[in-house]
Amino acid sequence: MTQERDGPTLGVERLIGRVLIALTYLSVALLVVGVGLMLGAGISPVAGGPGLDLATLGSEVVALGPAGFLWLGLLAVMAAPISRVILAAVAYARRGDWQMVGIAVGILSIIVIGVATAGAATV
Amino acid sequence: MIVGLLMLGGGAAAGAFGSLLGLGGGVLIVPLLTFGFGLPLREAVGVSLVCVIMTSSAAAGVYLERHIANLRLGMTLELFTALGALVGGSIAFLLDERLISLLFAGLLGYVAFTMARARPAAPFDEPALDVSPSGPDPAPPTILDRLSGDHYRVRNLGRGVVGAIGAGIASALLGIGGGIIKVPLMHLSMGVPLRVATATSNLMIGITAAASTVIYVIHGGIDPYVAGPTAIGVFLGATAGSRLSHRVDLGLLRMLFVIVLAYTAVQMLLRVVG
Repeated sequence: MTQERDGPTLGVERLIGRVLIALTYLSVALLVVGVGLMLGAGISPVAGGPGLDLATLGSEVVALGPAGFLWLGLLAVMAAPISRVILAAVAYARRGDWQMVGIAVGILSIIVIGVATAGAATV
Repeated sequence: MIVGLLMLGGGAAAGAFGSLLGLGGGVLIVPLLTFGFGLPLREAVGVSLVCVIMTSSAAAGVYLERHIANLRLGMTLELFTALGALVGGSIAFLLDERLISLLFAGLLGYVAFTMARARPAAPFDEPALDVSPSGPDPAPPTILDRLSGDHYRVRNLGRGVVGAIGAGIASALLGIGGGIIKVPLMHLSMGVPLRVATATSNLMIGITAAASTVIYVIHGGIDPYVAGPTAIGVFLGATAGSRLSHRVDLGLLRMLFVIVLAYTAVQMLLRVVG
């Protein structure tokens, strides 16, 4: 037996597709601003950029610092596929498809475990 | 200024070549950054992962809007690619860079060999197995039924799971999307039509690479000053490549590419012994 995709499934796929495309363009826009500020300030890409510091990210952006916009853009890049999984989980939960909700939660849990273990290793 | 523009241009070339030849950008970005700009291999892998997410998100969005990708199958397999990426991303910072160089040289050699042997694409997009519902009272759907798509039936889920874990580890260690593993796996082993397998692989690449990218970020393995211009370049190049594909002599391009890949593989091997 094969599964024909019904209307709600197609609607969810369309919505997720649009979110992915929107986040990609948002990340490109943020990176373009960051690279423009970096080149304008005469910073060489091989000079060695700062690591991600969430505590100072906001002030860096307000001060029009290139690293702030670049990190925001990079976070948007990483957020795109993760948002897709969250959206799919919500859509499947609304339809009572708990098997797919479990899979989505499993994927997100693996990412959280990765963050936690990497964070613990660097402390 | 010049270095930034060169990085943007190099990223655009890698994105365009990758798009024209049906490869993810990773296999080109890592050598570009290590040999072209002198970056440490591990840092180049981290930047490559960012670029891979960006190109895959844009393409996956279009594939989903057009209902080509199989979201249910993709999410099921990416549970295991993410697991592989978690393992790969964690051990990447424990391994000697020479070992990663050796693995990358092997990957380049494999891709060069595969491309050298490649024949013009046949119309190979037929369903591997077309099963129609039969009888008045069909049995309740199994897991494989639920993962199957319109007019094709998924098989060999166990093999898919093992292959997905391997693809995730390779992606995290080498900064590639892993499509060279996932597409043949889904198409040849799991019975997924080639066009659906390519689209679903693209969808899976994003979360696979994201799972390891967060680890690289936390370990300080991604430099925003390098990642910014390279990612923009790759995005522009991939977009242009997809529009130019029908105007380019792909046979000649493929041969040139094989030579570049073989040369780069030798350079990687020299890094290992040197």
